[in-house]
Amino acid sequence: MVECDFPECNTFGSVIRFALELEKGASGVYEEFAEEPKAAPAAEMFKALAAAHKKRGELLEHTRQQKLNEMILEPIQDMDRNDYMIDTRTPKGVDAKAAAMFAAKIEETSAKFYLDAAKIAKMLMAEAARIMDKLGKESLANKAKLESM
Amino acid sequence: MTLLSEVKKDYGKLKNFVNGEWIDSTSGKYIDIENPTTGETIGQVPMSSVEETKAAIDAAHEAWWAWRETPPITRARLFFKLKEVMEPHFENIARIMVQEQGKTIDEARGETRRTIENVETAAGIPTLMMGYNLEDGGAEGIDEDAVISPLGVFGAVCPFNFPAMIPYWFWPYAVASGNTYIIKPSSQVPLTQNYLTSLVEKAGFPPGVLNIVNGSHEVSDTLMEHPKVKGISFVGSTPVAKYIYKKSAENGKRVQAQGGAKNSLVVMPDAVLDRTISNMLASFYGCAGQRCLAGSNLVAIGDVAEPLLKSFVERSKKIKVGYGLDESVNMGPVISAKAKKKVIDYIDGAEAEGAKVLLDGRNVKVPGYEKGHFVGPTVIDNVTPDMKIAKEEVFGPVVGYLRMNNLDEALDFIHSSPFGNAASIYTQSGKLAREFRYRCQCGNIGINVGLVAAMSYFPFAGYKDSFFGDLHGQGQDAVKFFTDRKVVITRWF
Repeated sequence: MVECDFPECNTFGSVIRFALELEKGASGVYEEFAEEPKAAPAAEMFKALAAAHKKRGELLEHTRQQKLNEMILEPIQDMDRNDYMIDTRTPKGVDAKAAAMFAAKIEETSAKFYLDAAKIAKMLMAEAARIMDKLGKESLANKAKLESM
Repeated sequence: MTLLSEVKKDYGKLKNFVNGEWIDSTSGKYIDIENPTTGETIGQVPMSSVEETKAAIDAAHEAWWAWRETPPITRARLFFKLKEVMEPHFENIARIMVQEQGKTIDEARGETRRTIENVETAAGIPTLMMGYNLEDGGAEGIDEDAVISPLGVFGAVCPFNFPAMIPYWFWPYAVASGNTYIIKPSSQVPLTQNYLTSLVEKAGFPPGVLNIVNGSHEVSDTLMEHPKVKGISFVGSTPVAKYIYKKSAENGKRVQAQGGAKNSLVVMPDAVLDRTISNMLASFYGCAGQRCLAGSNLVAIGDVAEPLLKSFVERSKKIKVGYGLDESVNMGPVISAKAKKKVIDYIDGAEAEGAKVLLDGRNVKVPGYEKGHFVGPTVIDNVTPDMKIAKEEVFGPVVGYLRMNNLDEALDFIHSSPFGNAASIYTQSGKLAREFRYRCQCGNIGINVGLVAAMSYFPFAGYKDSFFGDLHGQGQDAVKFFTDRKVVITRWF
């Protein structure tokens, strides 16, 4: 199981922190599935997705450091973290199909988080919004790929 | 939510940085540096003596000529290097700031970015300090040139509210222009600047070019009196700004002294309320109201007053107060017990004058931080222009709510203040916005922006008792402050 610490989503920093926790959780789940013997046929795909989520985390760190504009650091009061928390308790002994379905739920929740966050960020920072939107769309594509297995 | 880790629990006894060396103060006097959130002592800052300050001035003066002869592009290269050195320390800089100042980590990260942006802007010095000339400008065969030259040693006396950024409104431009520099950080928040100076050292600036002397008025007064110091930059309260301006001018120095503020945010009936309120929350409560650009008076025009007040109070209640190293915290404490008392006295005073405290932050408690100097978001209704709370700088998260009939009344009210730092209007009308920016006698004007914080390539302005001097910090203004025009008239026989 991957330990995540999801904060409230009421500041720019906490939204990015939430996103980083999502990425850590997703990448950890994929790594665990990649080691699951019964899911071996999908191991390469899971490894690739784990790496992709780590890279997304780096992009988010970069966004936090480079895109933050102090002038428009408004409190965020429209996001409820309970809508976006993911289950990272990876089931054991599952086959590739079941693992993919589990991961698809994570991608679905991530996509919802990023697309909602993008709408809020759009009012504050266009570049951060674009990145959130990109990550949301990527998650939707990952979900479709996993569900088609 | 887990707290982000502190860079250190205890920073020990700080040293001065003079002539490229970290040296212990010989004064023997130290005061504690307090974390305003926890009440813990996190270090000691020396109260350096007059002699130590003079030694730093001598070192800066000795370093000056060789630095002045260093080509601008070479000087600029060191600023590029400094930016490169600072980026990996971004998070440490921000976290130290939270520890010693109390602001939230988002605010501290924002300030760190602005600090680096000043380094980036100063790196453009070969272009920023170009002079101008005119062939045959004197007469036929006589050319005239205006050369931009540095002047020598400059110093800055810095405030507690922006421990990283404010010294960087000044010194990068001074040093990039070919001067040498002495910073006296605020003795309440010296850690960030001392940490940043260790990065300046790593970047490879020559000894004596940038110096840090920690301390109090002995240091400031010596900087203002010493004949080798050419100018002083200051940010703080108006009474001290006036003192600095007068004393420095008496000693023949250039001065740029930023004082206090009492900023009004005017909301017109056609404002987009939801976005307006979000933006105003950041202005009133950001840095716990301890910004010289913070909103202080909320002026509602006409029938927007009731719906705006209801919604503003509701959303103010959601502001989470706590330790800034928790990323979900919206607002930290004020800087000290003394500052907290002052803010509470203003709220008490407003009540005594007949205003109504709708949201009361006086008794806010943050579990786990019982020694923190917290004041919660406070909204005071029925404030009138004659009340103290409407006129004086509170420097805390306190909103005075005033109702007025039209923009003329609001502008008259703004102009009745001795301050002229910032003012904002929220409206969808281009005509009203244009009228506001044209008529309003404040140095920083916001149109649907409540925190009018000029970027590094614009001056941080200010009128009336909010600024004493003529050239401001940051960008071209700063370069002009730290240089002079030398006119050369040339004829060849």
